[in-house]
Amino acid sequence: MSNDRIVVGAIAGSFGVKGEVRLKSFCANPEDITIYAPLYDDAGKEYSVKITRPIKGGFAARLSGIRFKDEADALRGTKLSADRELLPALPDDEFYHADLIGLEVLDTGGAKLGKVAAVLNHGAGDILEIRGPGQKGSLLLPFTKEAAPTVDLGVGRIIADPPDDDEADG
Amino acid sequence: MSRSVWKGPFVDAYVLKKAEKSKEGGRNEVIKIWSRRSTILPQFVGLTFGVYNGQKHIPVNVSEDMIGQKFGEYSPTRTYYGHAADKKAKRK
Repeated sequence: MSNDRIVVGAIAGSFGVKGEVRLKSFCANPEDITIYAPLYDDAGKEYSVKITRPIKGGFAARLSGIRFKDEADALRGTKLSADRELLPALPDDEFYHADLIGLEVLDTGGAKLGKVAAVLNHGAGDILEIRGPGQKGSLLLPFTKEAAPTVDLGVGRIIADPPDDDEADG
Repeated sequence: MSRSVWKGPFVDAYVLKKAEKSKEGGRNEVIKIWSRRSTILPQFVGLTFGVYNGQKHIPVNVSEDMIGQKFGEYSPTRTYYGHAADKKAKRK
């Protein structure tokens, strides 16, 4: 829980001539972006959001304080963040990507492996992408109880037991 | 048109060999393979393969619902990271 706010969407421009915006949602369920309102821009300005209709690539939405097309155009590219506390609590062994990214990863001996750069899922379970300061590439760690036995969000670290590689012959 | 039943599923021989060896060893290891075309067989369930995507070996934890599909389907060659937002990861 390192960040107070997480990016949940962005404004892609104006929609129509009545001050609506094109809203892109980054949420797992795109409509959920309204649940996390009020949303904040990078400067900390607060917006309430009302989705008016789904459109190609996102939603048409009305933001509080935006009444004209010019104002909506000016917001193009603005990222919208929500308070981290608004995300619902999760059961054990389930974590938000936002909480995992940036955690320090240590091996069972206490040696630093790097930090979590991304959480990937290609259909065969979650994978932590770990990048270390002196590493050329990244280490991909299956997010399982065997490979990541301890995840301590309070302290901000993961204890990992990376599986061995079998011999690298084709 | 689907593959003829009499032929059976295609698996590169070295994948079978490596999987067998790993199962006998009983160690927690990633079996590095380059064969994206091989079919996932029932005897692979529970094993972790590192499937090459042209750049690196992506860990693929084989589960029952993956049987019959190809390894390459779980190791994309192009990666789009996207935004974390409220996405969740489950530790299995």
